[in-house]
Amino acid sequence: MAERASLRRPPTTQPRLRDRVTARRAAFALALPAAAAFVAFSVVPLATVVRYATWRWSGTTEPVPVGAANLLRLVQDDALWQSLATTLTFAAIALPVFLTLSVVIALAIEGLRWERAIKALLFAPGLVTVGGSAIAWYLLYNPDFGVVPELTGLALPWTSQPWAALLYVVLFTLWQQTGYGVLVASASLRGIPREVKEAARVDGAREDQVRRYVVLPMLRPTLLFLTVIGTVFSLQSYTAVYLLTRGGPFGTTRVLGYFLYETAFERYELGYGAAITLFALVFTLLLAGLQARLLARRGAAEASA
Amino acid sequence: MIWMRLVTAAFAAFVALPLAWLAYAAFIPAEALVRANLATFGLSLDNFRALAGTGLARSMGVSFLATGLVVAAQLAFGLGAAYAIRNGLRLLALVMVLLALPSELLLVPLFRLLQGLALIDTLGALVVPFLASPLVVFLLLQALRRVPWEVVEAARLDGAGEVLIVARVIAPILRPELTATAVLAFAAHWNLVLYPRIMTTEPLWTVQAFLTELLRARPFEWGLLGAAALVASLPLLVLYVVFEKRIIETFEAGFRT
Repeated sequence: MAERASLRRPPTTQPRLRDRVTARRAAFALALPAAAAFVAFSVVPLATVVRYATWRWSGTTEPVPVGAANLLRLVQDDALWQSLATTLTFAAIALPVFLTLSVVIALAIEGLRWERAIKALLFAPGLVTVGGSAIAWYLLYNPDFGVVPELTGLALPWTSQPWAALLYVVLFTLWQQTGYGVLVASASLRGIPREVKEAARVDGAREDQVRRYVVLPMLRPTLLFLTVIGTVFSLQSYTAVYLLTRGGPFGTTRVLGYFLYETAFERYELGYGAAITLFALVFTLLLAGLQARLLARRGAAEASA
Repeated sequence: MIWMRLVTAAFAAFVALPLAWLAYAAFIPAEALVRANLATFGLSLDNFRALAGTGLARSMGVSFLATGLVVAAQLAFGLGAAYAIRNGLRLLALVMVLLALPSELLLVPLFRLLQGLALIDTLGALVVPFLASPLVVFLLLQALRRVPWEVVEAARLDGAGEVLIVARVIAPILRPELTATAVLAFAAHWNLVLYPRIMTTEPLWTVQAFLTELLRARPFEWGLLGAAALVASLPLLVLYVVFEKRIIETFEAGFRT
C-alpha cells in the first residue's frame, strides 16, 4: 500500500518541504536536555534570588522573612560601595592592558614562524590547574621569601600595600586570560581580506600606515567584543582574589564577587548574600545594556558612514 | 615593528616564568630550602614521595569522576542544542546571556536549590548543575555553521531520524571540534575553586579545594607544594600538549568576529 502511494505521488517539492518542517521540529527536541538544564540551574535560581534577598538565613537554619531589611542595609553598607569601587578600579587597570596586549601581540606574531608556539604558550595558563598556578605565583613572588625578590631584590609588596595587592591580582588575571584575547584578535586579523591591504600598499601606504588606517579600523568589532569578554573576566575576578589575597590587605582587594562569597559563605549570611547577588545582577545587566547600546550605535554609525 | 615584538617577547617571558617554575619547583631538594640558598639547584623526587599520605590522590579521583561526567553530559546535550539552533530554534539569545553571566551570581541560589534537592555534600552537587554549558553550545554551534548542510539533507532523504543524524553524521564530522571543546569544558570544571568548597566537605574535596587547603596549612613546604601543583596540573597539561592545535583552532574559529 505504502509503496503504491509513493509511486502515485508526483515528485513535487511539496512533501519534501513538509518533511523538512517535521525534521526541524524533531531537531528542536534535541535541545530539550540543555534547555531544561539552563532553566533549572541558571534561570530559575536567578529568579528566586529576589525572594532569598528578603530572608535572614544562615544556610543551615530555617530562613526568617525580614522584608526589605537586607536591601536597606545593603545600600548603606560602606563595604558594598568599597567593593564596587575596587571592581571598577580593577577593570579600569586590567581592561585597557588586556585590549592593547591582545591586539599588539596578535599583530606582532601574524605570519611569524613562531606564531603557533607563542599562541600555545599564551593560552596555556588559562588551562593549567588554577590552584597550582596560585601556588607557583606565591612561591615566585612572595615579597618576604619568594624566588624573584630573593634573586633580583625587586619585590611587589602585595601582602602589605593595598595598591600592590590589587596590581598583583590584575597581573595574575592578565597572565591567565590574555591568551584568549590574542586568539580572538588573531582570528579576526585573518578574516581581513588580503586584497584590502594590498590595495593600500599599491596606493603607496607604508606598513605602519596600513596597520593604522586599514587594519585597526577593521578590528573595531573585535575590540568591542574583547571589551565585553574583558568585562566578564573582570567581574569574575573573585576566584583570583580568593586564591591570592583573600580580599586583603584590609579588605582592599575585596571585589564585588568576593564580597558576595565572603558574606554568604564565610560569615554565613546567605540572605544578605542574596541581596548582594541581586545588586550585582542589576549592575551586570546595566553594564551589558550599556555595552549593547554602544555596539548598536557604533554599528549604526558605520552603516550610515 | 620592533616595539611590538619586544612587547610580545616580554609578555611571553612573563607568561612562561610561572609555568617553568611550576615544572621545576616540584623537584627542589629539601637541602636547598634548609640552606635558604636557591643556588643549590638540583633535582629530587622526595617531594613526590611526601605527597603519598596527603589526600591528593583521593581529591584527584573526585575531580576526575565529577569532571568526566560533566564533560560527557555537556558534549551530548550541547551538541543537541547546537543542532537545534542550527535548525532554526531561537535559543541562542539565552545562551549568550548565560555566557556573559558572572558565575558568582549563582552561588547563593544554587546552594538553596541543592539543599532542597538534598544534593549538598554529594557528588551530585558537583555534577547536576553543570549538565549543560553555554560555552560548549556556542563553540559547537560555530563549528556546525561550517558544516555543509547538504549532508544533513541527504541523510534526511535517506530516511534517517534526527538523533541518528546527530550521532552518525554530525558527530563524526565535528570530531576535532568536539575533542577541543571537551578539553576546554574539562578545564573549566576542573578549575572550579570556590563552588566545590561551598557545596561539599572534605571526603568530596576536589583537587582545587585540596590545593588551596594545602597552601593554607603548609605554606613553607615548597617542594611539597610544587609537587602537588605539578601532579594536579598534569592531566590538563597532557591534554593541552596533545590537542593544542585543535583547541586553538576551534577557539579561534568560534570567536571569529
